[in-house]
Amino acid sequence: MAATITASAVRTCFGDGPATWDALLRGDCGVAPLRRVDPRRVGVEHGYPIADDRPFGPGRWLADCVTEALAAAGVDPRRRRVVSLVGTGLRESAEVERAALGGTVDFPAERLHFGPAVTDAAPGVGRVVTLANACSAGGHALALAQDLVETGEADAVLVGGTDASTASMLAMIGRVAASPTDRVRPFDADRAGVLLGDGAVVLVVEADRPGTGLARLLGTGLSCDAGHETAPDRDGILRAVCDAHRRADRRPEQVDLVLAHGTGTALNDETEAGVLAEVFAGCAPGPLVTALKGAVGHTSGGSALLSVAVAIEALRTGRVPPVIGLRRPTPEAAGLRLVRDRAVVARPRVAQVDAFGFGGLNAVTLLEAS
Amino acid sequence: MSGVVTGCGVVSAAGDSVADVLTAIRAGAAVRADVRDRFAEPLPEVEAPAIADFDVRGLLGRKGTSFLDRATALAMVACGRALADGELTPDDDNRHRIGVVLGTTTGSLKSTMDFSRETLVQEKPYLVNPVLFPNTVMNCAAGQAAIRHGLRGVNATVAGGPLAFLYALRYALNAIRRGYADALLVGGVEEYTPNTAWAARLTDAGPAGEASAVYLLRRRGAEATGARAEVLSVATGFAPDDADAGLAGCARRALATAGVRAADVWALAGDDGDGLRDAVPATAERLPVRPALGDCQAAAGALAFGALLARYAEEPASAGRPALVTGRSRDGGVAAAVVRGWAGGGDDHR
Repeated sequence: MAATITASAVRTCFGDGPATWDALLRGDCGVAPLRRVDPRRVGVEHGYPIADDRPFGPGRWLADCVTEALAAAGVDPRRRRVVSLVGTGLRESAEVERAALGGTVDFPAERLHFGPAVTDAAPGVGRVVTLANACSAGGHALALAQDLVETGEADAVLVGGTDASTASMLAMIGRVAASPTDRVRPFDADRAGVLLGDGAVVLVVEADRPGTGLARLLGTGLSCDAGHETAPDRDGILRAVCDAHRRADRRPEQVDLVLAHGTGTALNDETEAGVLAEVFAGCAPGPLVTALKGAVGHTSGGSALLSVAVAIEALRTGRVPPVIGLRRPTPEAAGLRLVRDRAVVARPRVAQVDAFGFGGLNAVTLLEAS
Repeated sequence: MSGVVTGCGVVSAAGDSVADVLTAIRAGAAVRADVRDRFAEPLPEVEAPAIADFDVRGLLGRKGTSFLDRATALAMVACGRALADGELTPDDDNRHRIGVVLGTTTGSLKSTMDFSRETLVQEKPYLVNPVLFPNTVMNCAAGQAAIRHGLRGVNATVAGGPLAFLYALRYALNAIRRGYADALLVGGVEEYTPNTAWAARLTDAGPAGEASAVYLLRRRGAEATGARAEVLSVATGFAPDDADAGLAGCARRALATAGVRAADVWALAGDDGDGLRDAVPATAERLPVRPALGDCQAAAGALAFGALLARYAEEPASAGRPALVTGRSRDGGVAAAVVRGWAGGGDDHR
């Protein structure tokens, strides 16, 4: 049994969904000077920001996506049972920092999660649940969305992911890089680490009806490494990939495209490339592999669903955008069919989306063209 | 897709089978055991609906049982019996797909309170016995049962007092429907100790009872021979202002999900029959647990479920007819499960 994704709305440094897709196909890089934080104080100079410095950015971008996605899907939450799940890494923590620095708390605590943002944009939504789970939050939300739809607990699920950087998160990144990173280079031998991006994504998940929908949601495999807090674990990631394939009832050779997590960090990229090489070892020629973070940055809780949204466009249009920032692949990734330099035309039917979060939280989703 | 019950394990004041539970419920009088000499601490009563003779070492052996609290030991025994009754032997091929989901109120109240008290009354550096610490975690029973029986699948403890079994059943049904496990031991456990006895007395809920009832729930069609009942749906709700209406709403939702007409409900197990006067036929048989077995909290729903299984077993004419298991908590939590049972044993009733 499968669920279907009937709408997708996106906000990134490039703009809305169509603007983002066009930029990805052109091979644009959205890196820019940081906007809302003083670079000298955090040791990071660049990010992939949305040009919007008003407070509560993640909630507002999410609300815009909710409105757009509901209209596109033709779903009225006042007439159907609609639940909303929002995955996030940092929630509205930037406003806590602002309040702490300014000495004034000028908002109610419930604005820190996304209940009011979603219900204002979509009156009638039954429940809004904000999920954590770090940078795989969107993937976990998507898994739960499929459960809710397929068990009949909801007619439709608004599954969202949203994040903007906070000063504390930037300061942490600034402390772990030898020198400030100028851009994200997934799977590149000369990668210098990760940068954060702003982004929000909302997908509408409904029960599968033949002939409708943007793409079929086959299944999401979940695992927890229960190992190191920040280092990804080969076995844990492998379990999530295998779980996804088993739930989707697809074999590795049926996967045509992989949207990799690809953070541009040594630990992630080597581990992920190794797992992909292992999973697809018996497949010739193996799936195309691309990754978005070189173009849009690491959008944290939004990143899993952003990859899903791009995978949907690839399945629909037969075009696959390249890995931006990739010049010379790292040895572990050398055997993968990385899409480089320019978009390629292909006919992918099944796409795999990887998402891994701090804490060893892995979520791997399989989608199929409608 | 639904879950099929193919085995059960019961330890109760009425006896060690679902038939014993049904007999006690039907008799209507409180089951009594002499509890005077059972604990060093004073009790609010000399007799209680507690299990008269529970020999942990006789049932589980000496090894590893010295420090088990009563709730954990009861759960371990009931889990073992449910596996044996369902003829499921965990081995290296299947143990990763077999799990445990148990309902609880607070874990072992005695373990937690004793440990807390020690930290307050002992001399610094607080000479508390670290061996007893594991008993204070709420998921101790489910974890120990999994360790004992080698079950590596989903392991969950769902807290909910009188609703805990129905919550656990809902969790287990979802886990099976969604493919996270092939077989789950699902049940509820409650121990009788001075702590629960006084808690029941002081909150006017008493007398406190105790029991552990565990059922083997398997994916429908997965070698589910000997099916005794099918769990069709579970609905939960929260209605602090009008629990009767909330429970009736829950029952209606559960029946609708199961595709069952309210008029076809032939039996109602649980202590909440009155609240469902308008939701199910007045002729539906009532099987209340509390008058016979006391306030069994997290085990109450599991005992009600067991009484239903026994009722199906003794009356072949009831085969395939739907029944409800209901529960409510003092704070307004409500839940209802729709079950369909058979005389059971030997046949696959798909």
